[in-house]
Amino acid sequence: MNNSQQTARVGLFFLLGLALIYVTYETLSGGKTFSRSGYTVVAGFPNLQDLKPTDDVRMAGVRIGSVYVTRLGKGRAEAVLQIDPQYTIPSDASATIVMAGIIGTDYISIDLGTTQAPALKDGAEIKTKITPDIASIMTQMAELGHKLDSALSSISNAVNGSGPDGGVFQKFNRLLSENQTKIDASMTNLQEITGKINRGEGTLGKLVNDSKLHDDLLAAVGDFKATASEAKNVMASAQTVLDQVKAGQGALGVLVYDKQAAEDLKFTLHDIRDFSDKISKGQGTLGKLINDDSLYFGLQGTLKKADRAMDGLNDSGPISAVGSLSKSLF
Amino acid sequence: MNSIRSVLEGVGSTLILFMRSISHVGTLSRQKSRFIEQCYVIGYTTLPIVGILSFFVGSVLALQSGYSMQDFGTQQFIGALVGLSMVRELGPMMVAILLAGRVGSAITAELASMKVNQEVDALVTMNIPPAKILVLPRLAAVLMMMPVLTVISNLVGWFGGALVCKYTGFISVEPQQYFQALRHVVKFKDVIDGICKAEIFGFIVVLVCSSIGLSTRGGPREIGAAVTKAVVSSLVLILVLDYFVTKLLLAILS
Repeated sequence: MNNSQQTARVGLFFLLGLALIYVTYETLSGGKTFSRSGYTVVAGFPNLQDLKPTDDVRMAGVRIGSVYVTRLGKGRAEAVLQIDPQYTIPSDASATIVMAGIIGTDYISIDLGTTQAPALKDGAEIKTKITPDIASIMTQMAELGHKLDSALSSISNAVNGSGPDGGVFQKFNRLLSENQTKIDASMTNLQEITGKINRGEGTLGKLVNDSKLHDDLLAAVGDFKATASEAKNVMASAQTVLDQVKAGQGALGVLVYDKQAAEDLKFTLHDIRDFSDKISKGQGTLGKLINDDSLYFGLQGTLKKADRAMDGLNDSGPISAVGSLSKSLF
Repeated sequence: MNSIRSVLEGVGSTLILFMRSISHVGTLSRQKSRFIEQCYVIGYTTLPIVGILSFFVGSVLALQSGYSMQDFGTQQFIGALVGLSMVRELGPMMVAILLAGRVGSAITAELASMKVNQEVDALVTMNIPPAKILVLPRLAAVLMMMPVLTVISNLVGWFGGALVCKYTGFISVEPQQYFQALRHVVKFKDVIDGICKAEIFGFIVVLVCSSIGLSTRGGPREIGAAVTKAVVSSLVLILVLDYFVTKLLLAILS
């Protein structure tokens, strides 16, 4: 091997090494030195969380650039986003920090926005939305877990019981074990009954198993229906009667709805009462007739005399009869 | 007592050789042909074995970590693990170990046989310092070639890992996902760290092997003993220094 060939190989080898070092550098630093093409957009966040330079910037999932640098601005953290020149971002699109992996591979997600909004210029500020970071979510989850835990423990206390009575299940269990024999007997009876029904014994059994009974029942129901419709008719005529009464037609109607007639009736009743009072007190002829014994006795005496006179009349003929009658009477 | 003395002798002679070599740096431009020859031996001819070994180191790293990670379902981070391990640790160390085995042993054998055959004495007699024409070109060549070998080792290891991830059933990580995880974790700073380590290892391997070769005394049997001693010393030094150099680099860069 001659000397120049050896030199060429070493030279080639060395240049290859330099090229590979450069390739490595380009790969790892995301081509920052070489291809700073496109434009930058500033995104301000209260907290950049785990965002680092060279992290992706994605619009609706498509990679459109990378985070160029992260820095502190006025009261906020700023991420400068290097956007590839072929992509435009509408000014109403908003950026959020999205966590893609557990060990902190974050990226910035930009939504599509609307197409009619003007595109963002170089150095413009993009709207941002705050995303809750995993720590705060975890804190809330822990609180929720505590609440759930206490709720579950109270439920389990209710079910398993902590007092002397025990919980629902213990009570239920006791109830069951105490009434075991009764329940068994009931179950046996129930079984017998269902067996009978099944075999077509008894009314219920026939009802269930006999199709004739079913037809009868159906006919009975039909009768019921007819009866009901008749009853309906009766009711309808009763209704018309009532309507007439309401309208003041007929005697009953007058009695119920005519005020004058009611007044008259009241007076009449009053008079009748007066009349009966007087009678009961013995006032007037009828009263005396009813209440005074003497009149009755007088009448009785008179009747006796008349009787005797009749007897005498029988004996002495009509003239003496008239004579004795006038004697006895006066 | 004798062994401690020999260790101290070795350290001392190595340091003296280092100082002598450095003092002749100005003459490097006149030793271009020797430098190119050493570059060829150290870099170009070592490339195939570096490539093969790095490929399988990356593959087995991906396979083992994929096997361990499948319990946690974190296979998508294999790229990060393999990438960072190759760049920071395994790339430089594999290259240094290969260099000790393949180049260091050759240097010790060559210099020891020259010493045993009194060629070195002849050079000294002609007022040509052996550090100048035998050691300096090698040191310069190894400094020149180590970054190249390391970067090739890193990249080949990465691709080996990616291939294993794609075609192993229980890992099944697409190369795109693998390299995304890798890019996310590995920084160019880590590559520079790895190259710094490789430079230090390579320099020490060549220096120690040259020193042991040049301090050989006796006959042909001592040549073999010197080669064994050189390779063992180099490997021990690489692994022990690895820890301290890593710590130092982490302290400097953080």
